[in-house]
Amino acid sequence: MEHSGSFIDFVLSHLSQFLTYTAFANMTIGHVIMILVGLSFIYLAIAKEYEPMLLVPIGFGILVGNIAFYPGLQVGIYESGSVLNYLYFGVMNGIYPPLIFLGIGAMTDFSALISNPKLILIGAAAQLGIFGAYAIALALGFSPSEAGAIGIIGGADGPTAIFLSSKLAPELMGAIAISAYSYMALVPVIQPPVMRLFTNKKERLIRMKPPRTVSKLEKIAFPIAGLLLTCFLVPSGLPLLGMLFFGNLLKESTVTKRLADTAKGPMIDIVTILIGLTVGASTQATTFLTAKSVGIFALGACSFVIATMGGVLFVKFLNIFLKEGNKINPLIGNAGVSAVPDSARVSQVVGLQYDKTNHLLMHAMGPNVAGVIGSAVAAGVLLSFLY
Amino acid sequence: MKENIIRIIAGVSIVCFWSMGSIKAQSALDLRINEFMVNNDSNFVDDYGEHNPWIEIYNSAYNMVNIGGCYLTNDLSNPTMYRIQKGQDITKIPTRSYLVFWADNNTTRGILHLNFDLKESKIIALFDANGKTLIDSISITKKQQTDVSFGRLEDGSATWGYLSKATPAANNLTTAKVSAADVFGAMDPLGVGMTIIAMSVVFIGLAFLYLFFKYLGRFFLRDKKKQKQGETKPNENAEEEDEISGEVNAAIAAALYFYRTELHDTEATVLTINKVARAYSPWSSKIYGLRKNPK
Repeated sequence: MEHSGSFIDFVLSHLSQFLTYTAFANMTIGHVIMILVGLSFIYLAIAKEYEPMLLVPIGFGILVGNIAFYPGLQVGIYESGSVLNYLYFGVMNGIYPPLIFLGIGAMTDFSALISNPKLILIGAAAQLGIFGAYAIALALGFSPSEAGAIGIIGGADGPTAIFLSSKLAPELMGAIAISAYSYMALVPVIQPPVMRLFTNKKERLIRMKPPRTVSKLEKIAFPIAGLLLTCFLVPSGLPLLGMLFFGNLLKESTVTKRLADTAKGPMIDIVTILIGLTVGASTQATTFLTAKSVGIFALGACSFVIATMGGVLFVKFLNIFLKEGNKINPLIGNAGVSAVPDSARVSQVVGLQYDKTNHLLMHAMGPNVAGVIGSAVAAGVLLSFLY
Repeated sequence: MKENIIRIIAGVSIVCFWSMGSIKAQSALDLRINEFMVNNDSNFVDDYGEHNPWIEIYNSAYNMVNIGGCYLTNDLSNPTMYRIQKGQDITKIPTRSYLVFWADNNTTRGILHLNFDLKESKIIALFDANGKTLIDSISITKKQQTDVSFGRLEDGSATWGYLSKATPAANNLTTAKVSAADVFGAMDPLGVGMTIIAMSVVFIGLAFLYLFFKYLGRFFLRDKKKQKQGETKPNENAEEEDEISGEVNAAIAAALYFYRTELHDTEATVLTINKVARAYSPWSSKIYGLRKNPK
C-alpha cells in the first residue's frame, strides 16, 4: 500500500514536472502577441495574397519561434546545438542572402535597364530612404551601427537587410527583417499616396518611348561590367553584388541553362524557405518585443516614404534636362526601391489610373532592378564605414 | 566594333593588373614578427616557470595560417636555423592572432623553444617553408631594456618602438580601441555626412554603369546602322525581323493566344488527352533500379 502511494506520488510529481515543460506554463503575454502577429501574417499571405512566398514562411516561423519552451532543452533558435540554431546559422553569418541574390540574378532580365541606362540613376536616388532613416535613427538615440542596420530597411530588400543587420546589429536582425518584409508586402499601400503627393496630373500622363531591343552581347556584358564597375568602388558589397551578377551571367550566357534553372528554381526556393522560417522564428517574444523593435517598425515606414519621395523627385529633376519626347514619367520613380517587382507593379497600376493605355511596367522594371544594385552598393558603403 | 570591344577589355585588364599589387596572399607571407623581449628578468614566464627571451609572431591575415614548416633564425646567412615543426595544432595561428616562441636555445622543452638565444642575436628573421623567401625580419640595433619589450606600435604596422606594457600573445595597442562606427557617430551625429558620402558613392557606382551602357548602346546602334547602309540589296524579310518592336511582339503573342484559346474545345465534359511519348533509355529504365530476388 505504501509502495503504491509512493508510485502515485512519483506519477504526480512527474506529471507536474512535465507541466512545467509545456508551453502553457512558460507562456507570457509577449508570446501571445507574437503568435497573433504570426497568424495575421499568414492571413495576409493566404487571404489577401500579400507576398505569400515570404509571409507564409515568416508567419509560420513566428508561430514556431513563439511556442514558449523550458530553457535548456536545445529547442529554441537561440540555443546552441538546437536544430533551429543550426538553420539560423545561415542567417547569422550572412550565408542565405547572397544565395538569394544568386537566384534573383538568374531570374532578372536587365534589358529594360540596358535599353534606357539613365533609369539606373533612379535606382540610386531612391536609396535616399536608407540614409534618411539612418539620420532619424541617430536622432532617436540608436547607435551608428544600429542606425545603419535600421536604415537599410529603406532599400526595400529583405536579403540585403538581413545581410547588413547580421553584421552591424545582430541583436536587431529579427525586427529589421520582419519590418523590411512587412513593408515590402505593403508597398501597394505605402507608395501610391506619396507618388500622388509629389506629381501633378500632366506629369502622370507622360508617355515614354518603348524600350529598344537589346542584343545578346549587351546582356552578357551587363553582369561582367556591373560587377567590375560597382565592386571596384565598393568591394564590401561583393557577397551580394558578386552573386547577383554571377546569377545573371548564368542566365544571359545561355550556355549554362541548367545552372541558371537551379539557381532561380530549387535553390532560391530552398533558401527562401530556410530564411523565411528562421527569421520568423527569431522573433521570440523574450528577445523581440522591446521598445527598440517598435522604433524600428516606425523607422521602416519612414524609410519607405523617403525612398519613394527620393525616386519620384529625382525623376522630376531629371526631366528638367530632358527634351520633350524623352521625358520620364515620375510615376516610375517609386520603383527605385528594390522591392522587385512589386514597386514596378505599383507604377503600372497608378499609371493606368490616369491613362488606361499608358503601360509603365516595363519602364519601371529598369529602376526597379537598378534599386537592387543600388541597395547592395549602399549596404556595402554602410558596411565599410560602420563595421 | 571589334576594336571597341578590345579597347574595353584592355582597359578593364589594366585596372585589374594595377590593383593586383594590393591584394593580400592570405598565407604564411601574412605572418609578422610583432614583438620581442631580449632581457626578460621578471616579466612573462614560460611553461617551465622561467623568464626567457621571447618572440611574438602575429597573423595579419583574415584566415588561419599554419606557421609549421617555416623557419626562424638570428642569422640571415643561415635561414633554416630553426625549423618550426609541422603537423602540430599549436602552430596553427587563428586569424589576427599570435604565437609566442621562446628564444632560450633549449629545444628539449618543446617546439616553441628555439635553438638560439635572443641575447646573442643582432637580427630576427622569419623564412617561408622553402627556406629562401624572407617573410619578415627585424634588426636588434637599439639597446634593449630589461623587462621592456620592443614591438610594432600597432599589430602588423610598420612603426616599431618600446612598448609601455609587454603584451605577449595580445594586442600591442593597449589603449581602448574605438570602433569605426563610434568614430563616425561622433564626427557625424546627425547623419548628414553619411548621407552625402554614401549617396555620392551610390550615384558614382551607378553612374559608371549608366555611362558604360549608354556608350555601349551607341556602339551597337551605330553598328546596326552601318550594317544596314552597307547592304546593297536589302533583304526585306530580314529588315522586318530587325525592326520588330516589343509592342508588335506583344500584339503577335496576344493574337496567338486568342487563336489558340478559340481552338480549344469549350465543352466542360470533354477532356483533352495528350499522348506522352518517352523514348527508352537505360538511364530511365526501371529494370535497372529493381532489386534482384535473394537466392
